[in-house]
Amino acid sequence: MSRTETLKSLEIVLESFLERAVRLREDRIRVLDGINRLDDIARGFRGAENAARPDLTDRIGHWFAEHQGWLDDPKLRPAERNRIQQMLGEIGTTIESSGDTTPAVQKIASEIDRWRRPAATAPSAETAPGTGRKIILRRSPESAEPAKSEEPEADSITLFFDALRKVTNRFRDSIRSSKHLMSVLDDNLKAAQLQRNPDALLLSAVIIYHLKQRGYLVEPFVKRLKEAEQLQKETASRA
Amino acid sequence: MLNSSEKAYYLALQALRFKHYDKALNYFHAAAGHFQDNREFQILYETTRLLVAVKEEIAAAGNSEATAEPEEVLIDGAQIDFS
Repeated sequence: MSRTETLKSLEIVLESFLERAVRLREDRIRVLDGINRLDDIARGFRGAENAARPDLTDRIGHWFAEHQGWLDDPKLRPAERNRIQQMLGEIGTTIESSGDTTPAVQKIASEIDRWRRPAATAPSAETAPGTGRKIILRRSPESAEPAKSEEPEADSITLFFDALRKVTNRFRDSIRSSKHLMSVLDDNLKAAQLQRNPDALLLSAVIIYHLKQRGYLVEPFVKRLKEAEQLQKETASRA
Repeated sequence: MLNSSEKAYYLALQALRFKHYDKALNYFHAAAGHFQDNREFQILYETTRLLVAVKEEIAAAGNSEATAEPEEVLIDGAQIDFS
């Protein structure tokens, strides 16, 4: 393997690692995005003249509408909840001191109050609404032997469905950095060959078939696909 | 309020999401002082730094290959016809 090939292989491994690391943190990034936007709005309120406030009132209105699910969201960490309440508190103080009493501002002020109420007053995720009783989830003990399916076809359907889901996720990640389907195909053929990634191989095959149906010349890609498949078979037989 | 390092870390994660590795590295640099004891931050920072360095090496190798080619066909400023 030449030096450039080694570097390209390392590049694919590192990109793949970062892709997976970010995918695992998607939920956290979404939360950070919401907090960051609220922070921008709070800063805007602090520095804005009265004339600029209607726009900020609109923005925070949208923020509330978009994040209303967060009030009962168990994914939100206590520190993040505190941060949000602190920012809303700052916005509330600025609104109060401005003396603005338009209906829109009053609505925002009451929404801020609702968000800043202690979480204890909201029904807990573990408590059935209206009953005060706790819901306890139980499952059977884990066994060393995987449970055998009564219907063998169901297993193949599940496996195929899982494969489709993985390939779809991979495609979604690939199109973030590629503008054309050919580039996505090229990246995945490289990953199938250098990383021996079976999902990349399957995705490449699907793309090639899709392109073939639309009259593209796919022979060079089919050749690379077969080479990658052969490499993966060899690696699997050595393992 | 979020401090500038927290904002920079968030922006670095966003940049990674869209595979803008150069941008992500700049944000990581900006946030590094605040998160020097955060293992997760350090892993992402160092991996991004390594990836950007690898990409630069690949680009440099590509450039040297591109400039090597004309040197072989140019002698005394004249292009040789090999056909």
